[in-house]
Amino acid sequence: MSAFVHESVSLNSGRLNRRRFLRNLSAGALASGFLPLRDVMSLHADELRQQGKSMILIWLAGGPSQLETFDPKPNHENGGGTEAISTSVPGIRIAQDWPKLASVMDDLAIIRSMQNKEGAHQRATYQMHTGYVPSGSVKHPSLGSCIAQQLADHENDLPSFVSIGQTIGAGFLGVDYEPFNVTRPGSLPQNLALQKSASRYQRRLGLLGELEEEFAARGGEQPVQNHRQLYTKASKLVLSPQSQVFDLSGESEQLTSEYGDSDFGRGCLLARRLVESGVSFVEVRSNGWDTHQDNFSTISEKAREVDPASATLIKDLKQRGMLENTLVVFAGEFGRTPRVNPRGGRDHFPRAFNVWLSGCGVRGGQTIGATSRDGNEIVDRPVGVHDLFQSICQSLNVDANHENISPLGRPMKVVDGGEAVSELFA
Amino acid sequence: MKHLMIIALAGSISIWNGACHGSEQDFAAKIDQELQRLLLEENVVVAPATSDEDFLRRVYLDLIGRVPSSSEITVFGLDPDVDKRAKVIDRLIESDEFANFWGRYFKRVVTSRATEQRIRLVEPAFETWFIDQIEQDRSWDQITRELITATGSVMDTGATGLIFSHTGEPQEVAAEISRIFLGIQLSCANCHDHPTDSWTRDSFHGLAAFLPRVTVRREDRDDPRSFAVRSLEQSNRRGRYTENVDQIFRALDRNRDGFLVKAEARGPFATRFDQILAASDSDKNGKLSLKEFESIREMANMAQPGRGELEYYMPNLSNPASQGTLTEPVFFIPEVRGPEVNPGSSDQTRRHALADYVTSPTNAWFARAFVNRVWAEMLGKGFYMPVDDMGPERFAMYESVLDMLAQGFVDHDYDIKWVYRTIANTQAYQRRLTANPSGEYQPPFASAVPARLSADQIYQSLQEVLQIESMGRISGRNRGNAIQQRYGIDPQRSQFVQLFGVDPSTPPEDIIGNIPQALFVMNSPIIEQNIRGTGNTMLSRLLREYPDDSDALSELYLRVLSREPTDREVSINKRFLSEIDNRNEAFEDIYWSLLNSTEFITRR
Repeated sequence: MSAFVHESVSLNSGRLNRRRFLRNLSAGALASGFLPLRDVMSLHADELRQQGKSMILIWLAGGPSQLETFDPKPNHENGGGTEAISTSVPGIRIAQDWPKLASVMDDLAIIRSMQNKEGAHQRATYQMHTGYVPSGSVKHPSLGSCIAQQLADHENDLPSFVSIGQTIGAGFLGVDYEPFNVTRPGSLPQNLALQKSASRYQRRLGLLGELEEEFAARGGEQPVQNHRQLYTKASKLVLSPQSQVFDLSGESEQLTSEYGDSDFGRGCLLARRLVESGVSFVEVRSNGWDTHQDNFSTISEKAREVDPASATLIKDLKQRGMLENTLVVFAGEFGRTPRVNPRGGRDHFPRAFNVWLSGCGVRGGQTIGATSRDGNEIVDRPVGVHDLFQSICQSLNVDANHENISPLGRPMKVVDGGEAVSELFA
Repeated sequence: MKHLMIIALAGSISIWNGACHGSEQDFAAKIDQELQRLLLEENVVVAPATSDEDFLRRVYLDLIGRVPSSSEITVFGLDPDVDKRAKVIDRLIESDEFANFWGRYFKRVVTSRATEQRIRLVEPAFETWFIDQIEQDRSWDQITRELITATGSVMDTGATGLIFSHTGEPQEVAAEISRIFLGIQLSCANCHDHPTDSWTRDSFHGLAAFLPRVTVRREDRDDPRSFAVRSLEQSNRRGRYTENVDQIFRALDRNRDGFLVKAEARGPFATRFDQILAASDSDKNGKLSLKEFESIREMANMAQPGRGELEYYMPNLSNPASQGTLTEPVFFIPEVRGPEVNPGSSDQTRRHALADYVTSPTNAWFARAFVNRVWAEMLGKGFYMPVDDMGPERFAMYESVLDMLAQGFVDHDYDIKWVYRTIANTQAYQRRLTANPSGEYQPPFASAVPARLSADQIYQSLQEVLQIESMGRISGRNRGNAIQQRYGIDPQRSQFVQLFGVDPSTPPEDIIGNIPQALFVMNSPIIEQNIRGTGNTMLSRLLREYPDDSDALSELYLRVLSREPTDREVSINKRFLSEIDNRNEAFEDIYWSLLNSTEFITRR
């Protein structure tokens, strides 16, 4: 229903590509001079589908240090001894632990001047996923749900939003855009494998369908109808050949080992497969970036997993021609204090941190914004959370001004404020 | 089912009179009278009383959160007592299962909106505490007061659950107190005057100003679970910088040269001097000028303005880093009477004063919010919907009925069980579910409406039907197990609730389930193992006990759906049995279909 309303909204706001619209129209409909609204809708849905855009969010939970990732300060004591290495783009240097990402720098746009105010994990994580600060009165939908709402192909057997690891859910947007959670990438998700033969399963579904009519006739028609929809979706997934997407065994050994023998590596590989199968939004999570102590050794170790996996993801997407339509965003909830604490750690620092974006119209090989020599201040082009979200929407051609109605009847924009970072697309 | 009575004809039926809790039944009759008067005005056709089977299933699910066992159904069906409905209501409300079910429910009302992610630390103690409150017949105003005024370690003091859910943040806690206990949504007024209601920013921040001295902190540096809710009786370090910076600067500047150096620093300032210097010495001369010293305060405020202050400051939206406006505690509903709170009052004085306002008999919203919520849970729809968005500018259906109930609640000293007993005894509660094939608008309370069961209801019904104590491993994640075990809490239930749970304040029509939930019932090893027709399962015992297919079918329906199968269902299943030609397998499939049916997860 909400998708339907959205489509009519964006149709009215003239987002429809007129030429393609006309080309797709049947001569008959044109001749009659009349096209039923539903057909207009489905044409437009086709249009969005044909764009086939999707997003992969690589989430580093805990708050990765900007100084040990993409904004090293080798010439300042705050740099903590972390070396900078050169990348495939002359003049751009990143921290030593990321050689593989350095080699695909051509495709990355690093924003070094992210700034925010939320310095507590849960609040910042919520905000960096929904664009809103948490509030007791409303559960905001995560950006992934909003993107799935606008881009998802409803004919697809697979869920439109898949999260590999825990994440923030669809909030008031409801079950249709709730992330489908995968806890162990590489194996089939829980309860997806048939317990009995497919024919027995279908036999059961058949009996269920017949028996349901009795309750529908006794006053349960609405819940029976909802239930039927849900069971159709769930059983489509169970019976779909597409559920093979979760099985990574068909991938070449070489590629699998490039992604790496870790849950995160398998998660990135699965993310590519999901996007390839038409899933609109995938989040892959890496935990353990809250480095209050032993910041340097912890990050070196974590990067040995995350660096090859994320760099391979970019290369793999590019090789398959998918990077043009897939936006990859690499982020955590905040940065860390430039000053190293007595335990060799860095503490929470929302005042300056970094993210990178790649693909889907983003011009790679550039850095945006800068921090001061000691890393304490942003000295060039501050970018807020809303600006980042606006940029994501622009890249995916998602309507950031689309208003969802909260349960209390309050319209809430997908992104409330901010401006897209134009340099990303220049 | 097709005989609908015009309410004018609906006389008093004997089962609603007499017996043990006469006053509640009389009161229920008055409620019905008023409701029927209103329905009659609208020419509404009301449904007749529901059957004993449907009543029993409904009242079991609503009061103790599970379906009745087949023997409980049989005993009730055979009981000739005209008062048997009232008696079963009494029995269920006095059972442990009632306290367990509703204690958990209210815990979830609070924790479902938690902004503190470490909420699981307090959850076991909070759940146990809430169950105890109900078991010991604590009144709703006593419970409310304890939740608002609680202090103590969160692992041991369940009553800290509300405060800890929001890490003691005055604004969040204030918004939740208003939402949960008064059904009024104030939080929009945090940043701007409410767009549609009369609430202003002052209303909201006056309420938050009861709470600046609540503090949540970790008490043992080495124990990440050692959080406690305490009263702040002395401004902390950050707070001290906020007042009279000049004076403090002069006191610290011993040699009066206008600069602070490390040698001059004393106390906590000395221990942090290097850090402060590094952050604030903007001209890098190794000492702090008055201007640099002032910037410390701004930095502190930058992170969380007003945090750690003894008084409450309403944030300045155009300059978030500034301290904001000093705001005194004022309760936002003018007609409500309560004590005046002087600036400088202690945390406990403030919080008890707030509890006085919230629970005051002059505060109509306190009783209304509770009875509206319970009515909505039991009848599938409240007078106000959603249950936590009421208030003077919202519209209530049949408001006079709500007011009668609320007044009764006040007159019975906020006795929780009185509310359940009264509602369960009304004809309004006991009406039949009726078909509405045309899908046209039906005024509420004229007939029963189907409502999806909560996670706890489904979990406990599965336990009852499958006849198992524990569900086995539901998900790969097992966080919080140790704490749960310490409180004797079933970790499988928590996993199940993670999978099936919904914020209990969500309107029932918004709850439609999701794919992982469907996958669990249709396709999980746990369910599959327990519905086998062989081995030590309920079905295998049932099939041995009832060699005749019709008998076995009746018994299976009774256990899963708490009713006999209809003729049509008998013929569908008989045909299925003859097609399959393997009794065990066919019954497994029928069992599977019943567990996966809409009816099993719906209150009818």
